[in-house]
Amino acid sequence: MADVLVTEGLRVTYGGVVAVDAVDLAVPEGQVTGLIGPNGAGKTSMIDALTGYHLPSAGTVRFAGDDVTRLRPHLRARRGLARTFQSIELFDDLTVQENLLVARERIGVARALRDLLLPLGTGDADASAADVDWALELTGLADVADRLPSELSHGRRKLVGVARALAMRPRLVLLDEPAAGLDTDESQELGARLRDMPGEGVTVLLVDHDMGLVLGICDAVHVLDFGRLIAAGTPAQIRDDPAVIAAYLGGAREEETPVA
Amino acid sequence: MSSYILFLLLGLGSGAVYAMLALGLVLKHRAAGVVDFGHGAVAMFIAYVYLGLRADGTLQFPWIVIPHELTLRSSGLATIPAMVVALVYAAILGVVMYWTIYRPLRHATPLTRVCASVGTMLALQAIAVLNYGTTAKSTPTILPSSPLKIGDITIPSDRLWLAGIVILLAAALGAVYRYTRFGLATRASAENERGAALVGLSATRIALGNWVLATLLAGLAGILIAPISTVDPTSYTLFIVPALGCALIARFTSFGVAAAAGLALGMLQSEITKLLSVWSWLPEQGLPQAIPFLFIVVAMTMLSRGVGARGGTVELQNPSLGRPSRPYATTLLCFVAGIVILMALHGSLRTAFIASLVWIVLSLSLTVLTGYVGQVSLAQMSFAGLSGFVLSHLTAGAGLPFILALPLASLAAVPLGLLIGLPALRLRGVNLAVVTLAAAFALDALVFNSTWFGGGLAGRAIPTPKLFGWDLGIAKGDTYPRVIFGVVVLLFTCGAGLLVARLRTAPAGRMMIAVRSNERAAAAAGIDVARTKLLAFGLSAFIAGLGGTLFAYQQQNISPPSFAVFTSLSLLAVTYVAGVGRIAGAVVAGIMLSSTGLFVTAADKWFGVGEYQALVAGVALTLTAIKQPDGIAASPPPPLVALGKKLSGVWAGRRNGDTAPPAATPVGGVVER
Repeated sequence: MADVLVTEGLRVTYGGVVAVDAVDLAVPEGQVTGLIGPNGAGKTSMIDALTGYHLPSAGTVRFAGDDVTRLRPHLRARRGLARTFQSIELFDDLTVQENLLVARERIGVARALRDLLLPLGTGDADASAADVDWALELTGLADVADRLPSELSHGRRKLVGVARALAMRPRLVLLDEPAAGLDTDESQELGARLRDMPGEGVTVLLVDHDMGLVLGICDAVHVLDFGRLIAAGTPAQIRDDPAVIAAYLGGAREEETPVA
Repeated sequence: MSSYILFLLLGLGSGAVYAMLALGLVLKHRAAGVVDFGHGAVAMFIAYVYLGLRADGTLQFPWIVIPHELTLRSSGLATIPAMVVALVYAAILGVVMYWTIYRPLRHATPLTRVCASVGTMLALQAIAVLNYGTTAKSTPTILPSSPLKIGDITIPSDRLWLAGIVILLAAALGAVYRYTRFGLATRASAENERGAALVGLSATRIALGNWVLATLLAGLAGILIAPISTVDPTSYTLFIVPALGCALIARFTSFGVAAAAGLALGMLQSEITKLLSVWSWLPEQGLPQAIPFLFIVVAMTMLSRGVGARGGTVELQNPSLGRPSRPYATTLLCFVAGIVILMALHGSLRTAFIASLVWIVLSLSLTVLTGYVGQVSLAQMSFAGLSGFVLSHLTAGAGLPFILALPLASLAAVPLGLLIGLPALRLRGVNLAVVTLAAAFALDALVFNSTWFGGGLAGRAIPTPKLFGWDLGIAKGDTYPRVIFGVVVLLFTCGAGLLVARLRTAPAGRMMIAVRSNERAAAAAGIDVARTKLLAFGLSAFIAGLGGTLFAYQQQNISPPSFAVFTSLSLLAVTYVAGVGRIAGAVVAGIMLSSTGLFVTAADKWFGVGEYQALVAGVALTLTAIKQPDGIAASPPPPLVALGKKLSGVWAGRRNGDTAPPAATPVGGVVER
């Protein structure tokens, strides 16, 4: 199985602070890969570097075989590298359906002007609508398609963020803490839906600090701590990895006793 | 060589005024988060108060009808007592303005506050015209002005005094903010008003204190500059443009930078005047006025930082948007209603209705730009003006027919729109507004006022529009205004309205609204934020340009003052308070609020508002901004809502009440009375 996303020696700094250091990560296509780590481990910095919101100070990012290290965010999105945000960030003035449509329709200035001046339907509109319906269906949001995001619960707003990324029919979607703020039921339901993604042609990189969700649905998991990868493997391997347990419980490495 | 230095030093005079006003702007922004476009008008007003006291000892109050004069001493006050009284007056004015206008608006959007400040600026200007007339006044010197010899140059010493005062003031303000409890409290409440309240600081009292201080500074600037530049309502108010530029360079926070930028700008302007006499290839007119813009652009490019990434999202409340559900039917209805109104009205009222239609087109240009994509431009009248003058060159000059000249001239504004849109890729909100204002100012001074392009004082003629020999002009023989011209304007207005309404639900419109909501998320959705903004600027410039060409045909002769920057300010303010996110808002702006429009003209005709019209417009604008920050069209008065519902029932029973059929209702109300 080919890797759809590969980083080599990725280093992200903010001023003098090193958030991510020398990370080599490979995300195989057709799987759900997890990236976990305690708060402040550098998970969001990693996503920002992968999607172009913060340029890395060293290292490369390759997506689908191409070097995209310095590509601007919207161009990565157009190549099929989609993301969601920890703080949701929806378009509050657009309905749920429009939120998805605007991500799916990719029109240039010429098309935009032609649409305005010649009020004729275009063939592409049907394809867009189909993808949007698919994403709404997959996330269980079809019943609120015409509502504004502000009218929905927190959990469903998070799903709109996921649906918006999916509507673009991406090859890879990076989910930044999609389960944060969800209750247990909602979190499990989200997990089940994510599990179905590879079957729909979407590879998932799930970034979260919720061990339960990540270990429950991922094929492989990478663990980040203080900006460095400290472990990688199947959920079972990660669950028993002493370095991971130490990172999550903090300071355990020195004392040994609490782990045992 | 020495003459170059002489001009540099002479520039310290106006530089000191820019600096002092900029200091006040920084204060106001730190205190209350307000970018006060009326700051220059306050300086002008206090200068007049001072002049009145000096000349015949009368104190004028800013009201009109009831007795508004108080003679303190009929032979006139001496300099110091007059200054003290005028500054006390300024302090009281500051308290009143903060308490009645900016305190109620402290949780409103920055743009709403800008609109309120534009309203106060217009009102103060109108009061000054009513109380003091428009002739320029001069006053005896205040500061010692004996010639001073430094080496081989001789300059009036008051310039150095002024510069010294500014430097002292900036240093004092800096010290106060760094070392005193008041300064600490101001900084704390600027960071976080609630947090400051938690530790026992009254945000209101702190803001009020700062506001009064800023008003005093404005007053002081107004009084001190009076002897070296005569006082009149317009030029004083215009000092706000360079002052805003300096405050922007200081990022509305640093006193030192604001003062330095002010002095530097003044010296630069003065030096340009000298260079004009040396380098004959420089354009003769407008260069000194254009300098602030270049100054700002250079400074902003050098100082500009990237936009913050994580956690740095600015929470901006955007004006609410309408959702036109039946654009074609509504447009048709409006067109028919417009025809009926055109036939029913005569004389000045018909002219006013045509003026309203033109204004609607201009407002629609802001519906796209400010409403849909959330960008602020104070250069809309520059787009309109450019198209207007290009139209004159194309028709009167090149002899092109109406049917070709009108679209070409409208399109001519597009490159300018893209150019003025460039700063929008880095700047946001009020900062962007200031840059576009400076750009408009520069364009007005350099291009429109050149005799070749703008026709000078006489203006440029616009030939009658003809379509295959059919006269469509506004006047023919004694008939004025003709219905057929009204129909032509109505056709274009409805077309522009339909375009903007369809944009709301078209893919391009969705892209714009996504960019307005959240630029980070828009990029994640694959939207090219920069291109979307530029598309909106281009489209907006085109619509404004169309408005300009229609205006030109209506006026038959256009000259630069019609497109002055303050018209752009009024346009934004009026459109914003009417409801910038809706087509109905543009209609309300054109018919109810524009100063040459139907409602104001009718009110003048029947109730004789006459000379108070400018004042009423300013006050109404401020009041609307305070009372209905989301725009009139967002919450129309209940009778209109009821009427709208009834109509929608009759019409199809399927329209949602959000977009009441615009033209028909408000106009109907006026005509029936």
